[in-house]
Amino acid sequence: MDYLGDISIAHAKGGRRGKAVIPSETMRDQIDDLQRRVSKEIEEAGTLAELDEVRIKYLGKKGELTNLLKAVGSLPKEERPEFGAKVNSLREAIETGLREKSGYLDRKALDEKVRREVADVTLPGNLPEIGSLHPITKALREIVQIFYGMGFTVYESREAETDEMNFVKLNLAPGHPARDAQDTLYLTDTTLLRTHTSPGQIRGMLEMEGRLPVRFIVPGRVYRRDPFDASHSPVFHQVEGLVIDRHITFEDLKGCFLEFARGFFGPDTQIRLRPSYFPFTEPSAEIDVSCTICRGRGCQVCSRTGWLELSGAGMVHPRVIRNGGYDPEEVTGFAFGFGLDRAAMLKWGIDDLRVLFENDLRFLTQFEGL
Amino acid sequence: MKVPWKWLNEYVELDWTPEEACERLTLAGVKVEELTYEKVDLSGVVSALVEDVSPHPSRPDLRVGLLSTGTGRFTVVSGAPGLLKGNMVLLAVPGSRLPGGMAVETKSVAGVESQGMVVCSNEILAGAEHRPGEDIILLPAGIPLGLAAQEIIDLDDWVMDLDLTVNYSHCLSILGVALEASVLSGKPLKLPSLLEKWDWAGPWGSRRPEDDPEMPGEWKIELADPDLCPRYVGKLVRGVRQTYSPPEIERRLMLAGMRPISAIVDATNYVMLETGQPLHAFDADKLEGRVIWARRAKRGEAIETLDGEERPLDEGMLVIADAHGPVAVAGVMGGARTEVSGETRNILLESAFFAPIPTRRASRKLRLRTEAALRFEKTLDPTAQPVAIERAAGLISEYTGGVPEPARSDANVMEPVNKSILFSTRVIKRALGAPISAGRCREIFESLRFAPGPVTKVGEWETMEVTVPPRRVDIEEEIDLCEEIARHHGYHNFEPRLLSPATPGGPPSREYVWSDKLKDFLVSMGGREVVTTSLLSQEDLNAMGWDAGDARGTPVPLQDPLSSNESVLRTSLLPGLLRVVFRNQSVRMPGGFFWETGRVFYPSAEELPLEALQLGLAMYGNLREASWVEGSLEATFYRLKGVVEALLRLMGLEASFLPGASMPFHPGISARVVAGHSTVGEIGEVHPLVMRNLNLTGRCATGWLSIEAILAMAKEKRFTPVSRFMQVERDIAVAVDAGVLAGDVIKVVEETARDLASVRVFDVYDKPPVPEGKKSLALRLTYRPSDRTLTEEDLSTDRDRIIDALRARVGGEIRL
Repeated sequence: MDYLGDISIAHAKGGRRGKAVIPSETMRDQIDDLQRRVSKEIEEAGTLAELDEVRIKYLGKKGELTNLLKAVGSLPKEERPEFGAKVNSLREAIETGLREKSGYLDRKALDEKVRREVADVTLPGNLPEIGSLHPITKALREIVQIFYGMGFTVYESREAETDEMNFVKLNLAPGHPARDAQDTLYLTDTTLLRTHTSPGQIRGMLEMEGRLPVRFIVPGRVYRRDPFDASHSPVFHQVEGLVIDRHITFEDLKGCFLEFARGFFGPDTQIRLRPSYFPFTEPSAEIDVSCTICRGRGCQVCSRTGWLELSGAGMVHPRVIRNGGYDPEEVTGFAFGFGLDRAAMLKWGIDDLRVLFENDLRFLTQFEGL
Repeated sequence: MKVPWKWLNEYVELDWTPEEACERLTLAGVKVEELTYEKVDLSGVVSALVEDVSPHPSRPDLRVGLLSTGTGRFTVVSGAPGLLKGNMVLLAVPGSRLPGGMAVETKSVAGVESQGMVVCSNEILAGAEHRPGEDIILLPAGIPLGLAAQEIIDLDDWVMDLDLTVNYSHCLSILGVALEASVLSGKPLKLPSLLEKWDWAGPWGSRRPEDDPEMPGEWKIELADPDLCPRYVGKLVRGVRQTYSPPEIERRLMLAGMRPISAIVDATNYVMLETGQPLHAFDADKLEGRVIWARRAKRGEAIETLDGEERPLDEGMLVIADAHGPVAVAGVMGGARTEVSGETRNILLESAFFAPIPTRRASRKLRLRTEAALRFEKTLDPTAQPVAIERAAGLISEYTGGVPEPARSDANVMEPVNKSILFSTRVIKRALGAPISAGRCREIFESLRFAPGPVTKVGEWETMEVTVPPRRVDIEEEIDLCEEIARHHGYHNFEPRLLSPATPGGPPSREYVWSDKLKDFLVSMGGREVVTTSLLSQEDLNAMGWDAGDARGTPVPLQDPLSSNESVLRTSLLPGLLRVVFRNQSVRMPGGFFWETGRVFYPSAEELPLEALQLGLAMYGNLREASWVEGSLEATFYRLKGVVEALLRLMGLEASFLPGASMPFHPGISARVVAGHSTVGEIGEVHPLVMRNLNLTGRCATGWLSIEAILAMAKEKRFTPVSRFMQVERDIAVAVDAGVLAGDVIKVVEETARDLASVRVFDVYDKPPVPEGKKSLALRLTYRPSDRTLTEEDLSTDRDRIIDALRARVGGEIRL
């Protein structure tokens, strides 16, 4: 590489100008010689240190080019401008040459350094701590979002309740046989742990003070006098839904629950409503969803029926509407309630209720992320 | 309830397959839980003629018969009285198989070779020995020889097992289910003629004029507690003899889930299954006195029930009693003293209406969940008692030759009425939405055997008066009729409709959103959310070592807990969380960081306990095990404190940590979290004593925060302009007495320094050259001036000010 290429051109130009004064041969030879040597030495410099030596040798205070410039002063006056210019342009050329070579060496050294730095990308990364939500919370969040989209809000009701709110106001007078279906944990003769989230219907309606529409879900813990086994727990979770407004019909219940079921279990989910009985709804329905495991073809989980029982539902009983402070002649409504734990189990294929409450890390870690 | 398919089809001839029937009934609310095919495992049993009978050479109790099956002749030894020349019997030829795998072979009976056996009902239905006094099955004459038993007696059948809701008491009978099936299929209902009379309040449903509570010359019925037993019908059948029911009837009872006992008992059970009305038969000669009381049990009374158990009674239970004492727990089980037996000649039949609640109470308390009790505890048809008793008397007469007294006694204070309900198509439109015509409604009512009146147009609606028989105790008002229409129209025939979107939905409050964010923060810090039970034992709470007088040690108790392990409401999340730690230590998980949000409960002066929402935290072991990159992350007090500090910071809260929290925390390694002048939580390492109580190993840090308090104080972010000037850092090392709190040192620096953005402790050192009894804190101060660039002079002035303040307020000496 000729680092002083443009100087040679300048030199040639000078020659073509053909000025009358011929510079001394010695001076011309010295410049040519210096130019050749510096070009060679820059080219040969392999490190930045060697390159710096070249710079000092030629451009330093006592460098050869500096001396040459001093020598110009001893030339005949008329020759000085030409040689002065020549030496100066040689100096610029050397500086440019040094800069370029230095840039080249710098990049080469960097490339060399980079080439030596190799990570084994298959070694594990330095993982941050990862936490997780419990599947019950994960399921509830999805459910809540689906109902937000249908104009619902959330009403959180208390867990310790009065017999009055948990039963009587829901059309379950003392001794009602349907009370048996919900084996109750009493605190005193008149207070208990809510057996369902349904008292939230009454409390929620009363807080609305007659405003319309009423559209909320009540998620929360409920309690039954059940021993702990694969499908029962004395403590579990429900999600209640309530809609009260003018012109609410059974068809709205069906549409609303279908929308929820598809949002939660997947867009091809089917629902099936069957007549059932709850004292606080009339007509009442049991809602089945197409089996989440076999997609309705029939399997062990759904006892080969293709359907899974998920929710109780129905049109709110006129007495319950009245107990909530609304006029059943003016408004109608629907309600539903289902097991949150069961919904989560169906969604993720969890086959034993107990694991939800054991909190084994080998279980919890499965619910990281999405 | 179990419904045998052939029995059902006796009342309504369905052209459905059993599977179709299940589907249709289920979709109409009569839920079929399971459909099974019940088969008797029987082969080689055929009809045979007894051609000849001769005495057994050595045994007077046995005879030797010569039997013909048409294709073969068999010599059979038997002691059965029915082995008489000319009788048609069922013969199990050698190589036959009876239920239960019992094989019939040729064998020697007292020296005579017996080729097979003549069978009784118990042998072919249950595969068991004949019962006392049970004879072999005698077939009607004219049956072809060699016909398989299955061709003669209906043995195999489909059985639907129903799972009924409490309002479907009208389906607790084969007839009730048959009526539903008839409505759904459009096939006519074929009632036994006697039962045709039933349905309506009137001569049959109410008391007949000729019936009297006092049977002529016999028993008088006393309704001592008409609220518990408002109706008691009795009927005498004289001259009965002990016998067994025909095999067909026994088989039906077995398919329906009941054990055949004797013709009399079977008849009462058969009629109960058929009509839904439970019945009981007393040995009339064993009843003492001539008065039957339906009364509350007296204090201290007891009864030996049919199952041979001596059972104490209480005053809440209704008994049927004679002069001597109780003879039955009403609606639950009869007594042994008046049990029908082989010697019984006269029986008193009972057909009563018992109030559901006391019956249920008694049945539960005595742990006797009998078929009768399961029916009485629902409200039964108040008009069924007379027809049912007549039906049973008729069957008993047929099977046993007994003669029913023409009259029956009927003590009755009930006045069942036919319910008249005004029905309008308005309720259909309002509640159901779908247009179902008045004509269609009328059709459905008629097929349900209701009596709808003519349709009248009232404005835009059509109305009719619908009369409902008393047997439909579940129907009281218009909305109930609406449900009948809905379920017979078919829930699957309603179109789904989407709610109008006019209402914006969303979270109810900012606090609701923030509590979700709080959970997200904890997840982002590596926490594992757990869900633990709210029901604990007092021992769980005691194990925490709460000081006497600590509210957390005195929980809200349950009145009647299922077990002592779940007998009180949690007052803290910590026992549950530490149980999670134990669980994971016991399955050898090296460490974990758990948290839970949930309610805790405290006794209150109000009617209901106080509920408070808490966050609980617990961590143990290696939160992250050492990797090739870096060392392990240990669960320590400071790690937990860091999480809590970060959490509070993310919620925009300023809090301070005051040393020393009470049990279950380590007194020296714990703190109260104080914000806004109140304690909002506690954190610390678990006290070694508590660790020992709970069998926990290693160290464990735990804590709780009041979510309500945090959310109330949480602050949303406000923007402050970012300074254009450079931030500067300076370090200071200060030696203080070992007992001085770092927090106090930091506080001095924070209050003294100007333009200070933060102060960070980057080292704590208490070894030489730091003098004994002292500790050195290395602090990094970050200055972030908002209005100028700090000069060296500014910084050195500030440093002097800090040094003076530290010396004055915490006795701190700067180390150079």
